[in-house]
Amino acid sequence: MRLIRAELLKARRRQATWVLLIVALVLMGVTFLLVGLGLQFTRLLEFPQMYAIIGQFAFGLGGLFAVVYAAALVGADWNWGVLRNVVARGESRAGYLLAKAIALAVLLAVAALIVFAAGIVMVYLTGLIYNVPVASPLRGRGLQDLLDNMVLGYPVLLQRAALGFTVAVLLRSQLAGAVIGIALYVGEAILTSVLTGLTIAQNFGNLIGEGGFKPIGPEWYQFLPISIGGNVLNTLPGGSSAAGVAAGGGLEQLFLRPVPLELALAGVIVYLAASLAIGVVALNRQEIV
Amino acid sequence: MTNPPPAAPAPFTPLAGAPTSDLAVATRGLVKSYGRQPALLGLDMSVPAGVVYGFLGPNGSGKTTALRLMTGLLRPKAGSITLFGTPYTWHDRRRLFRVGSLIETPSFYPYLSGYENLLVLSAAGPPTDPSRIDRVLDYVGMSGRAKSAVQTYSLGMKQRLGIAAAMLSNPDLLLLDEPANGLDPGGMVAMRETLRYFTGELGKTVVISSHLLHEVEQLADVVGIIDHGRLIREGPLAELLEASGRVRVRVTPEDMTRAAEILRRLAPDRPLYGVDSGDQAGWFTVGVAPARATELNRALSEAGIYASGLEPGSDLESIFLELTGPGTNVTAAGPAGPPTGPPPMAGPLA
Repeated sequence: MRLIRAELLKARRRQATWVLLIVALVLMGVTFLLVGLGLQFTRLLEFPQMYAIIGQFAFGLGGLFAVVYAAALVGADWNWGVLRNVVARGESRAGYLLAKAIALAVLLAVAALIVFAAGIVMVYLTGLIYNVPVASPLRGRGLQDLLDNMVLGYPVLLQRAALGFTVAVLLRSQLAGAVIGIALYVGEAILTSVLTGLTIAQNFGNLIGEGGFKPIGPEWYQFLPISIGGNVLNTLPGGSSAAGVAAGGGLEQLFLRPVPLELALAGVIVYLAASLAIGVVALNRQEIV
Repeated sequence: MTNPPPAAPAPFTPLAGAPTSDLAVATRGLVKSYGRQPALLGLDMSVPAGVVYGFLGPNGSGKTTALRLMTGLLRPKAGSITLFGTPYTWHDRRRLFRVGSLIETPSFYPYLSGYENLLVLSAAGPPTDPSRIDRVLDYVGMSGRAKSAVQTYSLGMKQRLGIAAAMLSNPDLLLLDEPANGLDPGGMVAMRETLRYFTGELGKTVVISSHLLHEVEQLADVVGIIDHGRLIREGPLAELLEASGRVRVRVTPEDMTRAAEILRRLAPDRPLYGVDSGDQAGWFTVGVAPARATELNRALSEAGIYASGLEPGSDLESIFLELTGPGTNVTAAGPAGPPTGPPPMAGPLA
């Protein structure tokens, strides 16, 4: 517990924590203003559709930020040499890393809550600016939709953070962790887009049935770490296209059958656990110079 | 006049054979390499409990590697480490609860204050009462800057904070790698007093690796000298100084040639240094134990040469360089003289 408290203190006092949160909020604000330009076609700003846009920031863009932040949080211990102090005091390497992971999970939960709260406020502000009424976020299944967004999106956020976390442990550097983490994140999105295109090209005849598109799959690359999380985000209440684009492309939603939610969620959890396990094993074996 | 016998080595207490159960730290046959680059080639080091142990060696000799191995940062390729009388292995992390260390440069979170750095560090390892933080900050004279961010600290202040961090959990053994780096004279005196108190009053053990040989000489009870990954000398400092003793003697420049012949006979196996010009003209450094100074003076006076100055000329630095440096086994004619004594005479002794 004292290790987790110490990690939270470090994170709270670190500028990067606040910079990333503010950048995410500013980007979300700008997006809502831009969305507002197209509101002449809209009579009402409705939830859960708005949750999907907020979720895109909290878990889509937030996932990318989480990769960078997690890499910075862990890699800094190598860059600043402080890991040496901790290990030389007899602290358990695994315990230390897991305390860091738990603190990171707490921080990301708080960040996601802030983004959702700020997002709901921004929806009202957008409505006010463009003179469009806003439906109550709690109307009908509103509260349930909000909870579903949070509960389904949060593990994806954690899984993506774990990617940066583990890469930073393996590479022993915050910068390398962040850069490689982003490269993997973006690289996988590009790879799945290309593979989706190839799949469509190879199966074009089979994709068009009598009633319209007849999706195929799921394909193996839909189980890659970023894609599987994107699959979960696609199921968030309020429409999936926005989250789907963030997760790696819109084509796959048209032509590829999604991975069932339970399976996708299990995949996310497996990746999360595997990332942490790899990080712990790597740190336990590492020599610290 | 009879020639005195060659200077016999003074008695020396070897520590390597001591039972490791009586020692605070002991290494036996410790081997470590970085890839194909060997760092330690069978280190046998013995640190008695309750002393300040000066761990000396040239750059790259393996000092820091040895300290890293003792603190579980590295894994040895071969050999063993004993901490407080029982074997210590890589996975035996709780044994380090009794050890405080400052390895290489002091490392802290730059954006946290000195106090906060110690606070987050106290969360790791042995349970540590937070009230201890104020005490150790006070010990090292950092109470006044405890609330400032570490990134605003000078090197000396970081060093003080590093020493405070090492003492945080009231350890029984302190491993300090170059702790005097960047310290001002006041800081050095304070560190010396603190470490003396640590060993003298509290009965704890300090291993201090340093390039500042004068500092170690003032502080250490026992020294170990490492070179190329092996311990080449170890023992109580007083005995080492005695065994490698030197005497400085001054004669008139006119008597130098005759005096050199006499002095060389007193210590035929040790280098003889002399200065034949400048302010130091007439000074010889003779490789005999200070206890033989009277004998040396008598030999000169019997030849009608009267010394105008006679003093102990041995220090740790000269011993260190003789054992490890480029001047090892140099004679007076050699290019490198001992750093503390006068430079070699280029004239009659060449």
